[in-house]
Amino acid sequence: MSNILTQNDIQHIDYKDIDLLKQFINPHGRIIARAKSGLTAKQQRSVDSAIKRARFMGLLPYVQK
Amino acid sequence: MVEADIIERTDTEPEVAASRVYEIGYHISPSIKDEDIEKVVGSIRSVIEKAGGSFIAEGAPALARLAYPISIKENGKRVEYDRGHFGWIKFESSIEGAQAISEAIKRNSDLLRTMIFQTVREDTRAKIKIAPLREVKRTDVIKAAPRRAEESAPPVSEADLDKALLDITGE
Repeated sequence: MSNILTQNDIQHIDYKDIDLLKQFINPHGRIIARAKSGLTAKQQRSVDSAIKRARFMGLLPYVQK
Repeated sequence: MVEADIIERTDTEPEVAASRVYEIGYHISPSIKDEDIEKVVGSIRSVIEKAGGSFIAEGAPALARLAYPISIKENGKRVEYDRGHFGWIKFESSIEGAQAISEAIKRNSDLLRTMIFQTVREDTRAKIKIAPLREVKRTDVIKAAPRRAEESAPPVSEADLDKALLDITGE
């Protein structure tokens, strides 16, 4: 299991960590699938909700043109 | 002894379950003057205190560019903003208290957008520094290539043209 979260021992994902969350979205602003991101199911769920919170707060885009 | 232990546990359990850690994220409208921002934050703090919440951590509002424009109604007009003063407060409160805070901050017209959600007491910010994905390095200013001087050929006479044409075609 080698993903950025496991390597750096990150337990909680914060919606304010925009640079970290940007690792898990593609250039269009869509969330990268688990198969590609290499996250565990639990990590993917927390990244998912953090990205959605950041989008709602206008810190990340819903779609990027 | 055992009975006393059980009674103690049952007494404390509901209290622990009732108090939860929440975080409020907010964007203060950029139309608010810098000196009034502290007042707006103070009003959010007073709402939390009124609902019986206790503060854990706080992030001071800082002007941030929004990823998309957010529009709100101001004095009966719809206004679109592309930036806002983003701040956050982490606090502990009861479920009912959190609901009251949520409703109160939604009514605050100085706030562009608010969000309240349940979180954990520990600091959730990542300790690592991640470089932006697409870093654009500033290089020297690109100078426009010097334009080629217009080829200024001397006017060609009719006779020269005819001669040149004959050289090409006439053999």
